[in-house]
Amino acid sequence: MEIYSRRDRSMKAWFASGDPWVWLQAGAIGISITAVLGVLLLIAVQGLSHFWPHPVERIEYLEGENVTKVFGMLVERDQISRQQYLESSGITSDLPEGVDIVTRRLIKTANRRSNPPDFRWVFEHRIQHTSEPPDVLVLERLEWGNAYGTPQALSVNGRFTEAITGERLMVALAQELRHIEALRQQIETLQREQIQPLLLKQERLRENLRATDSADLSRTGVQEQLVEVQRAYQAFNLQITNLEREIAQERLALQDPQGRVQYEPLSGIIRAWQPNQFSTLDKVLHFAGNLLGFVLDDPREANTEGGVFPAIFGTVLMVLIMALIVTPFGVIAAIYLHEYAHQGVLVKTVRVAVNNLAGVPSIVYGVFGLGFFVYFLGGSIDALFFQDALPAPTFGTPGLIWASLTLALLTVPIVIVSTEEGLSRIPRNLREGSMALGATKAETLFKVILPMASPAILTGVILAVSRAAGEVAPLMLVGVVKLAPTLAIDGNFPYLHLERKFMHLGFHIYDVGFQSPNVEAARPLVYATALLLITIIVGLNLTAISLRNRLERYYRGLGA
Amino acid sequence: MTNLVVRAGGGAIMVAILLIFGYLFYVVTPFLLPGSIGESRDYALIERSPLMVDVSENGEIFVRLSDTGILEFYDSASGSAVAGFNLGRPFKAAKRAYPSVDLYALVDSQDQMLFVQIQYQVAFVDNVRTITPKISFAFDNAILALGDHDHWDIQWGDTGLSLALVKNQQVTIQSFPNLKRDQPPGAAQSTQITLPWPAGQVYLGPRNEWLLALSDGGEAEIYDLRGVDGPSLVLSKDLTPDGVDISSTLSLLGRYSLIAGYDDGRLLQWMMFNSEQGLQLEPIRQFDLASPATRLIPEPRRKGFAALDQSGTLTLLYPTSGQVIAERRVDLDPTLPMVISPRSDLLLAAGGDGKVVAHPLENDHPEISFSSLWQEVWYEGYDRPVFSWQSSSADTDFEPKFSLVPLAFGTIKAAFYALLFAIPLAIGGALYTAYFMAPEMRAWVKPGVEIMAALPTVILGFIGGLWLAPIIENNLTGFLSLFIILPINLALFALLWRLAPTDIRVRSTGWYALLAIPLVALSIALAMQSGPWLEALIFGGDSRDWFRRVLGLDYDQRNALVVGIIMGLAVIPTIFAIAEDAVYSVPGHLVRGSLALGATRWQTLVRVVLLTASPGIFSAVMIGMGRAVGETMIVLMATGNTPLMDFNIFEGMRTFAANIAVELPESEVGSSHYRLLFLTALVLFVFTFVLNSIAELVRQHLRGRYGNL
Repeated sequence: MEIYSRRDRSMKAWFASGDPWVWLQAGAIGISITAVLGVLLLIAVQGLSHFWPHPVERIEYLEGENVTKVFGMLVERDQISRQQYLESSGITSDLPEGVDIVTRRLIKTANRRSNPPDFRWVFEHRIQHTSEPPDVLVLERLEWGNAYGTPQALSVNGRFTEAITGERLMVALAQELRHIEALRQQIETLQREQIQPLLLKQERLRENLRATDSADLSRTGVQEQLVEVQRAYQAFNLQITNLEREIAQERLALQDPQGRVQYEPLSGIIRAWQPNQFSTLDKVLHFAGNLLGFVLDDPREANTEGGVFPAIFGTVLMVLIMALIVTPFGVIAAIYLHEYAHQGVLVKTVRVAVNNLAGVPSIVYGVFGLGFFVYFLGGSIDALFFQDALPAPTFGTPGLIWASLTLALLTVPIVIVSTEEGLSRIPRNLREGSMALGATKAETLFKVILPMASPAILTGVILAVSRAAGEVAPLMLVGVVKLAPTLAIDGNFPYLHLERKFMHLGFHIYDVGFQSPNVEAARPLVYATALLLITIIVGLNLTAISLRNRLERYYRGLGA
Repeated sequence: MTNLVVRAGGGAIMVAILLIFGYLFYVVTPFLLPGSIGESRDYALIERSPLMVDVSENGEIFVRLSDTGILEFYDSASGSAVAGFNLGRPFKAAKRAYPSVDLYALVDSQDQMLFVQIQYQVAFVDNVRTITPKISFAFDNAILALGDHDHWDIQWGDTGLSLALVKNQQVTIQSFPNLKRDQPPGAAQSTQITLPWPAGQVYLGPRNEWLLALSDGGEAEIYDLRGVDGPSLVLSKDLTPDGVDISSTLSLLGRYSLIAGYDDGRLLQWMMFNSEQGLQLEPIRQFDLASPATRLIPEPRRKGFAALDQSGTLTLLYPTSGQVIAERRVDLDPTLPMVISPRSDLLLAAGGDGKVVAHPLENDHPEISFSSLWQEVWYEGYDRPVFSWQSSSADTDFEPKFSLVPLAFGTIKAAFYALLFAIPLAIGGALYTAYFMAPEMRAWVKPGVEIMAALPTVILGFIGGLWLAPIIENNLTGFLSLFIILPINLALFALLWRLAPTDIRVRSTGWYALLAIPLVALSIALAMQSGPWLEALIFGGDSRDWFRRVLGLDYDQRNALVVGIIMGLAVIPTIFAIAEDAVYSVPGHLVRGSLALGATRWQTLVRVVLLTASPGIFSAVMIGMGRAVGETMIVLMATGNTPLMDFNIFEGMRTFAANIAVELPESEVGSSHYRLLFLTALVLFVFTFVLNSIAELVRQHLRGRYGNL
């Protein structure tokens, strides 16, 4: 079994052997594998490097005739032709004759408010000087993205003092930020434990007032209570106002390389660090902290900063509800098709139809979900149970439950096919043995067949979950939003709010990457989100694959 | 019990499948239902000679204005009077202030114009819904002295109020720019036009920018009212080219089109549009009635109209779709007031002796017909018939363009480029993997491709749109050179490998793919690095400009090339998996037989294996095509989503699937647009279902054949 002759080594024999064509075929699969690995690698590198604390350089470059000095972090480097350079810069006089390729750098200069834009392309031949000053400070801010600068002074009780500089300034800053964080916690506690109950109580009393008519004697009592509540509310509010004032008063003077000083209120700073002083361990710790923050924090700045926690939460919850729906339906349908139905033309047709459903474009399910589930079912539920709220829809609008149902419909073929596959591998003699021992058909099903088929069912469910987690197109129609004000699970009755809209990792990628005004700033976050999603999905698939392989060995052991 | 549950579950799945098809079809069915004009309902009211009739937005209240100045409101269900107002003066003319449906211009016997505004207040008195009409005089109770005139036209919109008054050959245009509903009008800007003939009819054109005047002999003149030095004549045309007289005219919503009814029963749509020859007025569409039209009644919010002809037949027509929607013999007097309700569901007419006649109209989706969906349509404002998809706009007088052709074209274009990229790679790869690849490597490649299939398309789309598209744009030459450099490198390496000792060569055949991976990576790096040099060498430094100048190909950043590659990546695993399966399960004794007869492995592959597995490979391509046709996110993210009709690989497209994703969330439930999007979903569903069914049948047939071999 060889593809060419051992003796004849001529070109003709080589072509006749087909070896060149085999190489082309090998190239085809090589390209596919390279592409997959490339995509995974690209996302992993880009996604993770977003969290790594890169050094911030001080760059002096010529912009027109003038020297511009900025602090900047290198994002990427690429090359363009002389022609493209001419188009983008308008001049080539600074390029020596014969230089056809120009290298440029994309640097993040941050300071979106004081010195926009926050991303710039700089041509390398125009850079005059770069250095890595150790005292460059990076501020992660609540608004306007990051800020770069050298710290000059810190205010104490609202007044700047020259007394604290250098090392001590950073220590003081860290201390002050911790203090502010503590104050914030205090405010949050007050809000949660004092203000919220008071507001609820006030609402209840007001309702009470509305319900009773003006002649009722108990009214005065209620009114007094209301006044009492409002007084308490104002007292707490004052406390909070004072705390907020305390938070707002301190500022940090930050100087950019041009010498301009910005005064950053500490209340707007989430974190501050000096990347150029980081040791490797610092970097790793910082990296881990960033990673954790990404997974656990809420998004900020129209989703272009902060974390993706609500999107993770929404994805997982949606997929869980979907799995709860799809598993019983898929399994029962597979059992029906394989164990109960008469194996005639009808069942064959249904099986083909189920198979084909897997090939129907997902957007079609979305359209069906929107029309049938949302407008028809949801509209009917509203008309029956939520008439008071109409015309504002409760269930008659895209929401979590409709998304789960739609995706359940989308993935049910996967579960059916996988379960049937498992069922068909169970040897006949096991069934017959069970029946022969006097078990009913139901007993055989529950005690023998289902336990044996359970790994196959699990494989199907995992594959269904993985498919659902990555699906976006139908969700755009039936319930996903770019920013959900509240999670679908909270402390208010009935705790799980199936009618709420939710956020989703896949949609987050689409939305942040393609709908946000500052794509350059959002890009690293999109890569990070993509990495997270891909990790989940590849993980799920690997689990399913290994499960299936183990299953195969197991059945082979049964002698099926 | 178990039996019951299981059977119910099985039934539920079948119901679900039928439900998807059934529901999509159900939403689309109104397109198939014909429109109709219902039987009239007569209301006997107090006998007054009517100047104007109208109906409220929801159709619950009728309005009638008599020439004595009595404005009456009647309940449409019972016919009983609801309210009445005496406006205190006799009137000689009244109509809606085009294009509004709640503001009316009334001309009294002294030639003064008043503006009456009607509002309906809904209140619940003892849980009974009651509607109270309220009237007020708009523009701060303005009364405009018009002077002696024959007839007039009015337009009131965002650009203000305009009046055109005709006296013989004189047209006076009074305009009140930017006049709002509750502002006093102030002094009018007045201009005069002298026509060459006495005007039979004038129409103020779109946004008060044009005036169209018609003589009784069928001559038309169009004046531009925007000029600083007063109106200028821009077009003069005889609308009766073959000598047949015009019996009635009507300007459609938006006032770009004039419908003229001729004495031989023809109706022509004359449309003004700009072309290279300047403004033109051309007949673009023709309807034929049995007898000459005596009265044309416009729909207030759509571009449709109703025509009453001499024989007493009322016909509902819709120009964009070229449809005659319904016909009915009616008993209506063409000289009396007649109007179509704002929702186009009722035609209300005044009869003699105090009667009011109402014909219910069933006409929800007039803009949808086979020709409007699949053929070129001459839309308003265009200089020729086109295929166009443009479903919405901010203008209220917008003509929706519902041609499915650009979307179908985009869908095919995207799928074509994706398959062009995917088929060779997937099938080549499948043949190699199934037939030559070492089992150890195959054990890794198969799951690897499965992972590739599981990659969310949103991630692929994002890589395409935000990473690959800019790279290709910046280094187009380098990227295109890859298609040459890669095969050359493979060939060179293969030649080099030929020199290796025979033993190694024989044993390495199963590992070629592994050797190819670094080669591919190397080739990519090489191509991208040499891109700028090649660009300077071949294209004079700017390849995109070169393509534009030399080949006439425009370049979009997000284009079919990007979609082809990225969607190709999404389709490869689908095709690969099925094709590989088909090749791998070719019965072993066929292969062994062939080899035993002295054929080389290559000969066996081409003449035996490929032939046997070809139906399987065919079905793999079918299923791949189904995937490419319905893919949404990749197309959405990696193209500009413009519904173009150009096969240029450097431009984008809009596909059915992406169109649904973009437009359905904003579409009004139950509207033509909404149902049309459902129709496209149904088309996608049926298409992929049929495609997959064919593939499945072929595969089952194949399985049977393997069994027999």
